[in-house]
Amino acid sequence: MGIYEVLFWFLTIMAIGCALGVILSRNPINSVLFLIATFFAISGHYLLLNAQFLSIVNIIVYAGAIMVLFLFVIMLMNLNADVEPQKSKLLQFAGMIAGGILFLVILAALRTASMSTIDKEATDIGLITNLGKVLFTQYVLPFEISSVLFLSAMIGAVVIGKKEDHVIEGAE
Amino acid sequence: MKAIIAATILGIVMMFAGIMVKNKSSVVALATVLLFLLLGVNIWDIINTPANQPQAYFNNMLRVDRFSLWFNALMTGCTCLYALLIGKEIKKVGAHVAEYFALIIFILCGLYILSSYSNMLMLFIGIEILSIPQYILAGSDKKNLKSSEASLKYFLMGAFSTGILLMGITLLYGATGSFSVMSFSFLQADTLNPLALSGIIFIIIALGFKVSAAPMHMWTPDVYDGSPTAFTAFMATIAKAAAFIAFLKLFSGSFGSISSRWTIVLSVVTAATLLIGNVTAVFQQSVKRMLAYSSIAQAGFMLFAILAVNAVAWQGIIIYAIAYSVATIGIFTVLMKLKDYTYDGFNGLAKKEPLLAFVTTIFLFSLAGIPLTGGFMAKYYVLYAAVAQGHLLWLVIFGLLMAAISVYYYFRVIIAMYFKQGDPELNSPVSSGDKFLLVLTCLLVLLIGVVPQLFLNGI
Repeated sequence: MGIYEVLFWFLTIMAIGCALGVILSRNPINSVLFLIATFFAISGHYLLLNAQFLSIVNIIVYAGAIMVLFLFVIMLMNLNADVEPQKSKLLQFAGMIAGGILFLVILAALRTASMSTIDKEATDIGLITNLGKVLFTQYVLPFEISSVLFLSAMIGAVVIGKKEDHVIEGAE
Repeated sequence: MKAIIAATILGIVMMFAGIMVKNKSSVVALATVLLFLLLGVNIWDIINTPANQPQAYFNNMLRVDRFSLWFNALMTGCTCLYALLIGKEIKKVGAHVAEYFALIIFILCGLYILSSYSNMLMLFIGIEILSIPQYILAGSDKKNLKSSEASLKYFLMGAFSTGILLMGITLLYGATGSFSVMSFSFLQADTLNPLALSGIIFIIIALGFKVSAAPMHMWTPDVYDGSPTAFTAFMATIAKAAAFIAFLKLFSGSFGSISSRWTIVLSVVTAATLLIGNVTAVFQQSVKRMLAYSSIAQAGFMLFAILAVNAVAWQGIIIYAIAYSVATIGIFTVLMKLKDYTYDGFNGLAKKEPLLAFVTTIFLFSLAGIPLTGGFMAKYYVLYAAVAQGHLLWLVIFGLLMAAISVYYYFRVIIAMYFKQGDPELNSPVSSGDKFLLVLTCLLVLLIGVVPQLFLNGI
């Protein structure tokens, strides 16, 4: 077992373990911290796949910006105590059965799935040069059109966040 | 393609108009002009695109054909009608009128993408451009707690369903190694990879959420009821039709060859949507909430078009989208004139405003599917397509039964208007301009019912 396999299994176990930690821990702050650890493990996977840019972006955007914001909100709202409302036992049971059945069905279906298109050769597609080239040639339309999406999200932030100082006027 | 660029530019123009133009009425007038301009661009696009020659743009990211262009033009026309009829009410929602219209134009941009995407990435971006402005519009009445609740609920549930959509796309990519919608049409039913099949199920769940199909419909009544009525009228009609066209293109177009694998799932979803939508609508006291449930019920009928997988279904979805949109926009216009949204609020409307009561009756006839109105032709097309498919007769009979139930709750409004005594309070006096537009809308509904071919000319 080479260093690659050791790292792979270590990161995999870390990712799955921390992901379980997110949903199992009672304290919201622990959940967020587990989620950050999960993102780091996934970033490690990206590195193993020779996708440095994706790995760095994942850390900066998700672990850095979004999760810190999350942590901020949770601390501001003082959710650190165990205040989440308790669901009824019946609901928990129903949810467990439904989720378990879905898990079983998907597991049974995917057991026979063929995972053929795994590229064994090392690839350079994840390097920033190649990624940039693909982004601005083949995928230029989705790249550009997502600006409409961000623009509407920005309008939303202004519309919802701005204080309405003047009274809403009636018709005419 | 021209329409997408035009919608983006006009949306930005509208956004900046908010700084320049202070008077709300001028903003509404400007928005109406811009929407008509957008309709012009759409028609220009149709004229320049020859029939039967789909045009691919940007490495096959978009594939524009006459069907999608015609759908775009019709839906833009509906939005123009919406702006004319309901523009005045949008002024009353809040302070940011220009921004609301900018968001509506951006939703149209999302609609144009969804009607012509040819790559799963574009589907995802289109669905998001369609959804995010809707979350904002739902919460635009900031002083109203129900509006904020609607927005938050819609946003959280919508974000969750987007996650499921992405998971489905990922699984499909894992199975086929491609994002291109074209490559999915080569999938074979007998050698289908289970990975692809679970991906398809995830996509059914996610798109079913966007079109409010049961059991993913839970958000619909609260969101449609809580949102400002002016925006509910838009979300329940044009935005919903856009999600349907995306659903149809993917399933009837690309997954058509493997329809035997997903028909059973989708027919159960359809039956549940029809049952829950129609039966729950019977018990509502508020007409606005009844219309929310009726939009679930109508979504059930539109699902027939996706199940049918044939050419009639593609015509059917266009007729259904336009007939349902026009009638629903009309009925919401009347609803907004009234102070009281319950059934009792309609009591005696026929005495006070005979014309208003008459056009409402025509709109409700159309929604219920009475002959000579657009709704009848729409139901006829989609049910005929389902019968032609061969294996869905049980579902068609069930659908007809549910249509009969729907007559009950639509006619309750008519009975309240004509046979009950009362003095309905109006928000604002009905101007002669309003009356003219409502009669025009009413004539449009009848026109769809009498000569539906007119609305299929451009394909």
